[in-house]
Amino acid sequence: MTDATSSTSLLVQDARTTRRNRAEKRFRLYGLLAIGIGMLMLAILLITIISRGSGAFQQTFVTVPIYLDAAKLDKKGNRDTDDIRKVSTFGYAPLLKDAFESLAQTHGIETPLESKEMAGILSKGAEAQIRDRVIADPSLIGETVEFEFLASGRVDGYLKDRVSRDSIGNDKNISVEQLDLVDNLREFGLLGMRFNTAFITGSDASDQRPEAAGMGVAMIGSFFMMLVVLVLALPIGVAASIYLEEFAPKNWITDIIEVNISNLAAVPSIVFGILGLAVFINYMHLPNSAPLVGGLVLTLMTLPTIIISTRASLKAVPPSIRDAALGVGASKMQSVFHHVLPLAAPGILTGTIIGLAQALGETAPLLLIGMVGFIASNPPESIADGLLAPNSAMPAQIYEWAKRADPAFYERAWGGIIILLVFLITMNAIAVMLRRRFERRW
Amino acid sequence: MKDTSISENGVSSKTVKIAARNVQVYYGDTHAIKDVNVDIQDKTVTAFIGPSGCGKSTFLRCINRMNDTIDICRVIGDIRIDNEDIYDPAVDPVQLRAKVGMVFQKPNPFPKSIYDNVAYGPRIHGMARNKAELDGIVENALRRAAIWDEVKDRLGAPGTGLSGGQQQRLCIARAVATEPEVLLMDEPCSALDPIATAQVEELIDELRQNFSVVIVTHSMQQAARVSQRTAFFHLGNLVEFGETDKIFTSPEDPRTESYITGRIG
Repeated sequence: MTDATSSTSLLVQDARTTRRNRAEKRFRLYGLLAIGIGMLMLAILLITIISRGSGAFQQTFVTVPIYLDAAKLDKKGNRDTDDIRKVSTFGYAPLLKDAFESLAQTHGIETPLESKEMAGILSKGAEAQIRDRVIADPSLIGETVEFEFLASGRVDGYLKDRVSRDSIGNDKNISVEQLDLVDNLREFGLLGMRFNTAFITGSDASDQRPEAAGMGVAMIGSFFMMLVVLVLALPIGVAASIYLEEFAPKNWITDIIEVNISNLAAVPSIVFGILGLAVFINYMHLPNSAPLVGGLVLTLMTLPTIIISTRASLKAVPPSIRDAALGVGASKMQSVFHHVLPLAAPGILTGTIIGLAQALGETAPLLLIGMVGFIASNPPESIADGLLAPNSAMPAQIYEWAKRADPAFYERAWGGIIILLVFLITMNAIAVMLRRRFERRW
Repeated sequence: MKDTSISENGVSSKTVKIAARNVQVYYGDTHAIKDVNVDIQDKTVTAFIGPSGCGKSTFLRCINRMNDTIDICRVIGDIRIDNEDIYDPAVDPVQLRAKVGMVFQKPNPFPKSIYDNVAYGPRIHGMARNKAELDGIVENALRRAAIWDEVKDRLGAPGTGLSGGQQQRLCIARAVATEPEVLLMDEPCSALDPIATAQVEELIDELRQNFSVVIVTHSMQQAARVSQRTAFFHLGNLVEFGETDKIFTSPEDPRTESYITGRIG
């Protein structure tokens, strides 16, 4: 009797309880470990992306005063824009040479370089920059105007410690003497890094001018694609889910449809890409590389996601609400639109935004419809142009940069990733906010 | 056979509101309601009692065709309200449900304000021409459901924020706001405490003045307290139907007696 009571004392844990407690402790530890690993990976990812990509937002600029010689730019002297246009960028090269010559003189820079080599530290687009400015404002001819030019990718790399005197070796694009000149100009404050908005707003640039490449036009391409996806996928997806969930009879046909929607959600996106190529481009003859086609393909890809999440949120609305509405004499449609849909709206919106975010980051299907590649187009002028003119998309642009040889493009690819992530995080934040806002109603 | 004896028992001057003849209900292959014949009178509370799964709720849901929403459910037979077949193809169940209101087992107010809960039915049926009329309908319905004094100062507050008993009375107000002729109640007090139950029962007794009330209940005491006539269902059959007093004091069928004395169920 006394033995029995002592063995069941609550103050002493029996072996079984001890074992159970230890198992629970172990399990919690595993959980913490898993979360810790996840957080560590996330931190490494973010730190890597930011440390490698942030450089793309900084760019080296060189400030050079240019004498816009009327004798070279406007031989007739009538300031007629048509005549000025006849002078090609080639005709502007001497201006740059002269400018560097006088720059070296005024600041007393000793350099063995010829004036042409001195101008070589600038981006290859420098002449075009002067020409554009002159054509826009012919009255500048004859004056000395201060220009801010992009430095070449190598010079930019030198300032970002990517390029050094030892590493350039036989590089034809840059020489040790040019780097000396860069150091001199830096001392005089004529050359330096600053924030480069053109990376966010500009268009892609050729292989020789990584310093000029920007995300802007690809961003517009992505925007038009998302517009197509939103306009098509949201109404089609929501209508399909409402019909399937609330109105369709439950029979083998709807079962098959349901299974197939779930299967579609798991289909690799490249399959949708080749489908888009076959149907939209080869059969329907929609233009290549157009955001409209990209949007259509991504719509197909996003629809299952939207349908599945919409159906899930419709299912989550308690059936008692439907009964209540029907019980007071509401029609099926009234009960759905007045009561079920408002309650399911946060879930539908969340699903839609997450589907859009998924589509925004999708690259594979774009490869097949030609939305990847060097597309240095200008920003579209109209909505129709935006939908039909060849363009790229953000992830495709990143992929394009990552595969180019010049390491300066590699840095831009990381920078592009930052922009893409900012978009995705913003979209997810909007999803969370919308959900909170709608749920807070009661 | 039994039916004739019942109608003899139920000697009453009141008119028959709902008449069911040979009603069969199938859930897929399951025969849930077997050959039910019943006459429900106007301005009377009729209680359906019986053990769980006996089909009383199923039969109740036949009266306003709520079973239509269940795909596998089939109803055969004849149910007439005011001598009109409600399963006639010409009948729109939506119109029927405006005439036959329903209160459910679990209080299910809409996640909207108290006012909107009650005003929803009148709104969709176009019963009010302007805001003042709608206000009148809402107030009247809430008064009839004996909840007006508790909520009149917070009509804009969410209906889901009320207590269980208040929610159920709100649901009753919502049901009576559309001016139905028949009110179906599916175990309206099963989720309520005794005080709220007493309030709802009192309310049911008052509603009898205007409606024909059909109530499904698990509590035999409740059936005895609120109803004038009682139907006992067992395994899908209507075993006995008659005056409540008679069912509870001298039931004819041995199964009824076993149930009300607690031997089956």
